[in-house]
Amino acid sequence: MLAVTATFVALAGCTAGGGDGKLELRVATFPPGADAAAYEAFAAQEAQFEKLHPDIDVIGVEYEWTGPTFAAQLAGGSLPDVFTVPFTDAKTLLANGQLADVTEQMNALGYTDEFNPIILDAVTGDDGHVYGFPRQAYAMGLHYNRALFEQAGLDPDSPPTTWDEVRADAKAIAEATGKAGYAEMSTSNTGGWQLTAATTARGGRIQEGEGGDYTSTIDNDGTRAALQFLHDLRWEDDSMGDDFLLDWGSINQEFAAGNIGMYTSGSDVYTALVRDFGLDPDVYGLTVMPMDGADAGVLGGGDIAVVSPTVDDATKDAATTWIDWYYMQKLLNQDAAVQDAKTLADSGQAVGTPVLPVLDQATYEKSREWIADYINVPLDQMQGFFDGIFDQTPVGEPKGHTQEVYALLDPIVQAVLTDQNADIDALLAQADVDAQALLDGN
Amino acid sequence: MTALHEATAPAAVPAERRPSASGARRAPERGPVAGVRRWVRGGGLSTLAFAIPLLIVFGIFSWSPIVQAMVMSFQKTNLITSQFVGFDNFAHVLADPLLGRAVLNTLYFAVLALVLGFPLPILLAVLMSEVRRGRGLYSALAYLPVVIPPVVAVLLWKFFFSASETGVFNTVLGWVGIPAQPWIQSAASAMPSLVLEATWAAAGGSIIIYLAALLGVPGELYDAAEVDGATIWRKIWHVTLPQLRGVIFIMLILQIIATAQIFLEPFLFTGGGPNNATVTVLLLIYRYAFQNSLGGDYGEATALSLMLAIVLAGLSFLYFKATERWSS
Amino acid sequence: MAATATRATTDEPGERGILSAFDRRRSGVRMGLGVVHVVLFTGLVVAGLGPVLWLAKAAVTPTQDTLSEPFALFPNGLDLANLTAAWVEVEVGRYFLNTLLVAAGCWAVSLLVAATGGYLLSVLRPRYTRLIDGAILATLFIPAVVLLVPLYLTVVRPAIGPSLLNNYLAVWLPAAANAFNVLLVKRFFDNLPREVFEAARTDGAGPFRLFWSIVLPMSRPILAVVSVFAIVASLKDYLWPSLVLPAAEIQPLGVRLPAIASQTELDVFLAALAIATLVPIVLFLLFQRVFLRSAGLGGAVKG
Repeated sequence: MLAVTATFVALAGCTAGGGDGKLELRVATFPPGADAAAYEAFAAQEAQFEKLHPDIDVIGVEYEWTGPTFAAQLAGGSLPDVFTVPFTDAKTLLANGQLADVTEQMNALGYTDEFNPIILDAVTGDDGHVYGFPRQAYAMGLHYNRALFEQAGLDPDSPPTTWDEVRADAKAIAEATGKAGYAEMSTSNTGGWQLTAATTARGGRIQEGEGGDYTSTIDNDGTRAALQFLHDLRWEDDSMGDDFLLDWGSINQEFAAGNIGMYTSGSDVYTALVRDFGLDPDVYGLTVMPMDGADAGVLGGGDIAVVSPTVDDATKDAATTWIDWYYMQKLLNQDAAVQDAKTLADSGQAVGTPVLPVLDQATYEKSREWIADYINVPLDQMQGFFDGIFDQTPVGEPKGHTQEVYALLDPIVQAVLTDQNADIDALLAQADVDAQALLDGN
Repeated sequence: MTALHEATAPAAVPAERRPSASGARRAPERGPVAGVRRWVRGGGLSTLAFAIPLLIVFGIFSWSPIVQAMVMSFQKTNLITSQFVGFDNFAHVLADPLLGRAVLNTLYFAVLALVLGFPLPILLAVLMSEVRRGRGLYSALAYLPVVIPPVVAVLLWKFFFSASETGVFNTVLGWVGIPAQPWIQSAASAMPSLVLEATWAAAGGSIIIYLAALLGVPGELYDAAEVDGATIWRKIWHVTLPQLRGVIFIMLILQIIATAQIFLEPFLFTGGGPNNATVTVLLLIYRYAFQNSLGGDYGEATALSLMLAIVLAGLSFLYFKATERWSS
Repeated sequence: MAATATRATTDEPGERGILSAFDRRRSGVRMGLGVVHVVLFTGLVVAGLGPVLWLAKAAVTPTQDTLSEPFALFPNGLDLANLTAAWVEVEVGRYFLNTLLVAAGCWAVSLLVAATGGYLLSVLRPRYTRLIDGAILATLFIPAVVLLVPLYLTVVRPAIGPSLLNNYLAVWLPAAANAFNVLLVKRFFDNLPREVFEAARTDGAGPFRLFWSIVLPMSRPILAVVSVFAIVASLKDYLWPSLVLPAAEIQPLGVRLPAIASQTELDVFLAALAIATLVPIVLFLLFQRVFLRSAGLGGAVKG
C-alpha cells in the first residue's frame, strides 16, 4: 500500500509547480520515435530561451496531434501548455472553447497584421479574436525516390509533370525494381485527405460553401478521375505494391525504407522523414503535384501554435513568449532565424524544408536568404517544387466536418485499391449522400 | 475488464450467523453514541475495514460507471456540460449507415471463429488426452501462443500477413504451389485472416480446459461401453462427447460473448478496412467515443454499448444458468 | 476440481481414457497413436513454437533479409545491433519496467480486494452481505464494453481529487473491480473448515488475526490462481491502458509498441517485439504448472 501511495505522489508531482519559484511551462516537442539528435537540438534551444527568460522553466513534452484523445487530454490536464494543431481543426476547437484567446498577446508582439490574411482567418473566431499563431504552412507535393528512378532508367532530375507521366514512371519503377512505383495513404482519415488533394489537383472540389452552410460535392469529375487513376495503377499496371492500408506514419516509413517510388504528402514532410523515419537525404526528391483541368489547385494546410485554455494568465504570457521565440521570430528576425537554423543544423536537423509563407511573400523570401548558409536540405533535389509551387493556385481544405468527411472517403480509397470491381460511381454517390447528411446534421 | 470471460457461478453459501450479531444480545443501550459504541464493540469497525477496499473499488470503478452509462446514453455531453436528449443517441446510432455493416461484420467474425476455431481445440484435446507420454510438453506448446501478449501477437502477425510475394505466409504458400494471397489487404480475405490469428491466439486456453474436462470423464463409463462392444469411434460419440456437453456449451457461449466484443484485431490489423470490411461493433463504439475528431460523442458510444450489452447480458444469463445446471 | 486440472498437465497415466488397455495393444491403434504423436508434435511445434522461434531469428536479422527471404537463416550474417538499438533507441527497457509496474500494481490491488472482499463476504458476513454479494454478482452480467466510456470519464474527471489520467491508479483500481476474482476467493473461503475459525476465535483471535494468520495461509492455492489471473489480464490489456495512459513515458510496452511501429525500422521493431515476448515466456516456463492449473481451473470452475 505504501508503494501505491508513493507512486501516486510521484505521478501527481509531475504537474506540481517547481520548487525554485520558476514558472514551469510544458511545451510540445516531437511525435513518438523522434531521434536523439532532435532532442539535443531542442535542449540547446531550451537553454537559449531560459537564458533569455530565467523565470521560465521550459519542459519539453512528447506530443503528436491526435483528434481522438484531444478532448480527454484537455479535460484531464495532460496536454502541454503549448502545442500545435492543424489548420483544419482550429475552427472547431476555438468554437468549442478549447483554445486560449491570444489576441492581446499577439497584438502586443505587434505582428498580427503581418500574417497572410487567409491564413490568419483560420485562427480567428466569430468574435474576431485570435486563438493561435499560424506557424507553418505547406502545399501538397509529389515526393519521389531518386534511387528508384535511376534503377528504373528514369531521370531523377526531370520528375513527372502530368498524371500520365506519373503513371508511366510508376509502372517503370514497379517493373524494374519490384517496389511500389506509386503509393497512396488510405487509413486514419489520410485517405480522404489525399483523395481531396488529388481531386483539387484535377479541378474538382469535394465541398462548397462558407460559414456553416456547406454542400457536399464529392460526386464530381475530379474525384472520379483521381480514383480512376488509382484504379488503373493498381489493377492495370499493378504498380502500387502490396500494402493498401497505409497512413501518414507507415507511408513515410515505407518511403524512407526505399519501398515506394512516389507519393503525395505535405511539402514539409522531409523534416519528419529524416528526423523520425531515418530517410537517406540523397535519395529524396520533391516536385509539385501535376495539375489538370481549369480549376486545378494545390491543396494546402499547415499548423498553428496554440495555448491550452486551462492555463492561468502568467502561464499564458510565458506560453506566448515561447511561441514567439520558438516558432515566430525565426520567420521575422534575421538574428533569430540564423540562431535557429544554426542550432538545428548543428544537431543534424533539417533546415530549409520547403514550406509556404504564413507571413507575406516578401518576408518569407527574406527569411530564406537569412538562413541560406545553414540550409542543409538538398535544395537541388527539390527544384521541381520550388520552380512550380508559386504558379499553382492554393486551395484550402474543406471546412465542414473536415475530419469526418475524410473518414467517409477512406473506405472509398481502400475499396478502389483492394477490389478490382469497385464501382466508383456508386461509391461516390453514396459518400456524397452520407457527407451531406453529416453536413446537414448541425 | 475481462471479468465476464472468467465468469462463474458461486456455490450457494449455507446461511451462517453473523459473528458480530452476538453483540446485539446484550442489554440494549440507547442513543446514537451508544449505538456506535455497540457497533464498534461488535466488530463493526474491523468489518468495515475489510469492506472498504471492495466497496471503494467496486463502487467507483464498477457500480457507479454502470449507472452512469444508463444516464449518459440519454445525454449529450462534451466533458463540460451535459444535456438530456431523450432517445436521440439511440436514434442516431441506429441511423448510422455503418451500424448494419458493423453488426454483420461482428456476426461474420463470430461465425467464422466458431467454424474455424471451435472444433479444433476439442479435437486436439481429445488426441492429447489419449497420448500418455508428452502430454505435458504438448500442453505447454499449445499454451505458448496464449502467453504471448496479444498486442505483440497482432503486430507480429501483421507482418506475417504481408501481401508481398516474399511475405512470411505467402512464402509458405509458395512452397506448396499456392499463389500469394492478399490476406488483410482485401475486403474478402481480411476478416478470415483476423479470425485465423484470433484462433491461434486463443486455442491453447480452450485446449487446456477441454483437457481438464476430458480427464474428468469417469473411466467406468468407457468400461461399460466396452462391455456393450463399443468401438473407439462409438465410445467417442456416445461417451466422450456427451460427457463434454456441458463444457462445450459453456465454451460456446463464452466464445460468442468474447467475439461479440472483438476489438484489438480489427483495430491494430486493419483499422476497420479495407472498405469497412472489418469494422466491428466495438470498433464503432471506440470510434464514436475516441476517434471522432475533437472530442468524442460519449452519449452515442454508451447508447451503442448498452444495446450490445443487452444482447450480451442475455447470453451471460444463459451461461449462468448453464454453469449452475452443470456444476450441480 | 484442482486435482483433475493438475492431472491434465502431467504425463502420469491416471485413470483410463477413451482407449482401453486392450485397445492400446492393437497394432492399428498403436500405429494411429504414433501418427497422432507425429501430428501433435509437428502441428504444435509449428503453430505454438514456430512464430516465437521465427521472431527470435528475425530479431537478429537485418531488415532486408527478413523482407526478401523470411525463412533464410542469416544469409548476410547476424545483426545483433538490433537488440541494442531496441533497448537504447526504442527504450524497451523503460517501457518494460512500466509493464512490470502496471502488472505489479494490478496484482497487489486485485489480491487485496479479492482477499479482503472474500473474507468479508464469506467469514465476517455483516448484515449487508447479501446486498454486496448480489451487486457483485450482477456486474458479471454487464459486459466490459458498457464500462468503457463512463469508466473513462470517471478517470478523466473523478468525483473527488485530480484527474487520474496518466496515473497508474487508473489501471490498477479498475482491474481490481473484478467480480470473478472476488467470488472465486469467497467460494474457496466458504469451503474452509469453520471449526478452525471458531477455535481461533475462542483463543481470542480478532478478525485481523484470523484473516492474516489462519485464513490467508490456508488459501495459498487460490491466491496463486488469482495472482495469475490478475497478472495475465494486466499483461494482455491494451485498450484500457492506451486510453488512460496517453503520456508516452509511463506507458507499458504493449501500449507503446503499436504507437512506434511506423517510426521504427523493421528489424529493430521485431527485436523489440522479441524482447516484449521474452519475459512472459520465461515466466510461463518457470511457473508452467501454476499457469496451466489456472487455465484448467478456469474450465473446471466454468464447467
